[in-house]
Amino acid sequence: MIQLNKNYSLPERLAEFIPIKIVSVGGAGLNALDRIVLDGLERADVVAINTDVHSLTSSVATRKVQLGRSVSRGLGAGGDPDVGYQAALESADEIREALTDSRVIFVCAGLGGGTGSGAAPYVAQAAREAGALVIAFVTLPFGFEGKRRNTQAREALARLNEFAHSVVCFENDRMGDLTPPKAGIHQAFAMVDMTISQSVRSIVNLIQRPGLIRIGFDDLLSALRIRNSRCLFAYGESDSDNRAHDALTHALKNPLMDRGRMLADATHVLVQVAGGPSMTLSEVEILMQELGRHVSEQTQILFGAVVDARLGDRLSVTIISSLSAEEEVLLQTPPAPSGASAVAPVRERYQAAAPEPHVQTEEPTVQVQHFEKTIPFEEPVAAETESVAMPISTEPPVIPARNGRPEPAITAPQQKPVPRKEEKAPAEKSATPAKQEVLQFEPVTRGRFEKSEPTIIEGEDLDVPTYLRKNIKVK
Amino acid sequence: MANNNLMVGLEIGTSKICVVVGESRPDGTLKILGVGQAPSRGVRKGEIVDFETATKCLHEAVVDAEQKSDVMVKSVYVAVGGSHLQSFNNRGCVMLPEDRDEIDEQDVEDVKINAREVSIPAQNAFLHSVIQHYQVDGQQGVLNPVGMLGEKLEADFHIIHGVRTRIQNSIRCVKELPLDVEDVVFSGLASAQVVLTQHEKDLGALVVDMGGGTTDYVLYSEGAVRQSGCLAVGGDHITNDISMGLRIPMARAEKLKTEEGSCILGNSLPGEMILLKDDSGFAGKEVERETLNTIIHLRLREAFELLKRRLEEEPYLGYLGAGIFITGGCSLLNGIDHLAADIFEIPANLTHAQAAWGVTSAVENPQFSTAIGLVKFAQVMHTDRPSRGFRRIFRGLFSGKR
Repeated sequence: MIQLNKNYSLPERLAEFIPIKIVSVGGAGLNALDRIVLDGLERADVVAINTDVHSLTSSVATRKVQLGRSVSRGLGAGGDPDVGYQAALESADEIREALTDSRVIFVCAGLGGGTGSGAAPYVAQAAREAGALVIAFVTLPFGFEGKRRNTQAREALARLNEFAHSVVCFENDRMGDLTPPKAGIHQAFAMVDMTISQSVRSIVNLIQRPGLIRIGFDDLLSALRIRNSRCLFAYGESDSDNRAHDALTHALKNPLMDRGRMLADATHVLVQVAGGPSMTLSEVEILMQELGRHVSEQTQILFGAVVDARLGDRLSVTIISSLSAEEEVLLQTPPAPSGASAVAPVRERYQAAAPEPHVQTEEPTVQVQHFEKTIPFEEPVAAETESVAMPISTEPPVIPARNGRPEPAITAPQQKPVPRKEEKAPAEKSATPAKQEVLQFEPVTRGRFEKSEPTIIEGEDLDVPTYLRKNIKVK
Repeated sequence: MANNNLMVGLEIGTSKICVVVGESRPDGTLKILGVGQAPSRGVRKGEIVDFETATKCLHEAVVDAEQKSDVMVKSVYVAVGGSHLQSFNNRGCVMLPEDRDEIDEQDVEDVKINAREVSIPAQNAFLHSVIQHYQVDGQQGVLNPVGMLGEKLEADFHIIHGVRTRIQNSIRCVKELPLDVEDVVFSGLASAQVVLTQHEKDLGALVVDMGGGTTDYVLYSEGAVRQSGCLAVGGDHITNDISMGLRIPMARAEKLKTEEGSCILGNSLPGEMILLKDDSGFAGKEVERETLNTIIHLRLREAFELLKRRLEEEPYLGYLGAGIFITGGCSLLNGIDHLAADIFEIPANLTHAQAAWGVTSAVENPQFSTAIGLVKFAQVMHTDRPSRGFRRIFRGLFSGKR
């Protein structure tokens, strides 16, 4: 007969430490990484990877990998993904070494430039081969940066999608939604980095924080399991009187969520509620009930609750889910077939170098084995690339995205180090004070009512013009 | 105030602050002596957000009223609004002691207190308990139970409550001046006092007071308030929508709304343009009339639909014999009555203060409905009070004899 052990004690369930690495590739990625480190991050290692030595030296990352010592000789990749890729190949061993021993690897990169587009997919591939869960945070260049750069970015995104388990994609063109029109350009750029930083940190916290109702690594996997998916992510925080409601409202305001509407189609939604010791059961109940209105009945909600004294009076909610990108396949514009001539060879070379991404024969730990079993990934054959759809929609309301720092569009490698340094140091680090903690996602402007208490009735913010909310076009 | 019959109503609105001085005539009518107003700043959605600025504007308005009516304002009735106000209906019940079967004033007070014994959020305070009907031993529809015989007195009340601190903000602002606050009144209820006649209240009517920042509504059925509330959407929202949709400044949008705006769609010629003149008289931007109307229409339709959904939570909307009465600044918008009638499927009328005379320009302006309503409310209170006092003395003597 089986007897219940009455002495069953809680401490046994303390979170096991899950090694996490945050890897940045290229200049834009590096900026985001610096932001993440400056915002304060525990329990994760950071690795900066770049071709450009100047930006590497000024980075605050603890571990740095210089790509392509002989290919680019310490300069940037000059906006050429081919160079970026070659540089990554040259430093393949260093990359692999830097990526060992972690179960989750975040890859941050700005696509469109040389290093970001060329090396990031390779890094993602290496990370996957190391047996980790790979989540990529990438930015797409501005429309004005030219067609070629955009094509490069989309090609890179397609590659990245093959290797990463999940890709969170921010569009620079949407940056205007986040920042007030009068904000300085440095502020707009900082906003991207902060958004990425916020996303990464909340996922790290989600995994690492021991919880009352713990969200495990396995839960995260099931939320992100869908192949070729688009990640939905939201984070909200509040310390007001009605903090449960406010935190959720903040979270759903995230453009990636499209005000919670995106959640309706998700099959798994992962929710973590964290608060100080003053968090009450009823608050959690209110929050979950409100969230329940945004998801369908079939949706599996993976719920986690955490009491963390460091949060004080604040209550935070993190929502993660993913949507199959299938419906967007129809909407997306096919990459220009004859595209930039420089890009085509890159792809071939990729295929030659990494013919089969499924190189996970040696499992380092039992944990990883378990994780591999959980996800029945059907690894795409590299030749499939052409048909793999990128989860970049051309339809405006669906990807409410964000920004990211585009790598400076400099073509001559010789000129690179100087402008880089200028751009990074003053604009970035000094202009964004580290004290900003909570990101207020304001996807649409409320005009005159910007500073007043929002009028939220039946889940709609009535201060936002009706025609905007109903998506009715007025001239 | 030297004259006991003078009453002052003060409304701190989102777009303007207005002060109405009224005199209660011996024949029971209400004469408006003067109206002072000042554009309001520091007020959003019916609530003060910038205390100092609002106090300054308030001062201007009071001075204006004093000049126009030649009366020293000392104490005022203040209208309060804001989305924090909530309401519900509740029934109170008291059993008379065994040795007594005549219902007296005290029982009526008790039943009112009893009806208030419901849980409202801790930070909220009661604003009004409006009597609907009394029931004596199950006998329905008793209007005044004092003096009746019975064992059980029940009463249905419509209770309006709101966040205490936010109600106090208006009061504090007035006391800064310094003026005395006689009472605070829910602005929708105040408007209804002058907009509706008793007959209309009996038939059933819905008053929609659409102001700058908020839309207050009060629904009467069988002579009693059944539903009331405040929606934090008003004319400002329309202006804001126009400003954002057409990319013009707020002041210009406001002007465009009042001069050209309409909420009727399909009424303009295809491609009909409105020429925006700038301040110097030069022709500026052109705006398509249909676009402007669409923006206004969508916002108002949404607000009315929201209101309808709220009112449909209880069954009274189907029994409005007198229809809908729209007042407040937004009622000046072209076609708003047709839109409301269309959505509610009930006849809608534009209206203004009825039960008053005096400064006709003020009385006939729907923007002043609330402030005039406050004076009317004050008049009702004044005429009520002495009589109640008398009755109490009389009753005291009477019961003493027994």
